Amino acid sequence: MAARIFVRRRDGRIEVRLNEDARAIVREAFAHVLAAETDPEHEWHASLNGPIDPSHDVDDPLATLNRQSEVSSNVELAVVSLAEDFLNDGEAWAWLCTLQIALRATITAKGIISNERLEDADEDTRDYIKTLQTLLFGLADVM
Amino acid sequence: MPSVKPLRVSDETQTQTSVGTITQRPWNVIVWDDPVTPMSVVVVIFRKIFGYPNNKATQLMLTVHHEGRAIVWSGSLDRAQGYCVKLQVAGLLSTIERDS
Repeated sequence: MAARIFVRRRDGRIEVRLNEDARAIVREAFAHVLAAETDPEHEWHASLNGPIDPSHDVDDPLATLNRQSEVSSNVELAVVSLAEDFLNDGEAWAWLCTLQIALRATITAKGIISNERLEDADEDTRDYIKTLQTLLFGLADVM
Repeated sequence: MPSVKPLRVSDETQTQTSVGTITQRPWNVIVWDDPVTPMSVVVVIFRKIFGYPNNKATQLMLTVHHEGRAIVWSGSLDRAQGYCVKLQVAGLLSTIERDS
């Protein structure tokens, strides 16, 4: 049985069991999403803009978090909590959203709109997608 | 696809009826399928955003997977837009449309 990469502890926190290589992949994905939010030239930028402006979300899901003063978006919270060994629920949600956005931005940028296109994608792209999916599976399992 | 009853719209409908307001066609929030998003992630997002129980979130996720799209919420335009934004912020492909 494969080792779990996220573990829910008795105190409610989520333990992150990623080695440095895995954290580097997560760090890169978060950095791309952060850059794509502000850089119109970024390959992922188009996929981050839906038909409705995300800034209309006035509920501010980060409001209850201690690190709220430092961040204003999920990806910013994900970035500042990147080195943490334990995540609270808000941080785990930010990780999940950011990894999911990285996944969808990847397939959008590569034109992968079907299972057939996915099978035809180059090996590096498929490996990257599988890595993001593995992280998302692990995170969803403890949420 | 089974019909999706909105969680809080029923209260609004009752209020509108009690004051004699004509009920308008609701707006539907649609989530679209893609070839890579893990099913368990979609379930978590539906539970988190809508507060749906696991069974309902799973049922909706399976509808998205098998039919390519699912109506995940129906109600007023303002709230439909809000939910659509939340789904997009969570990385799902979502749109809104007027109920036919």
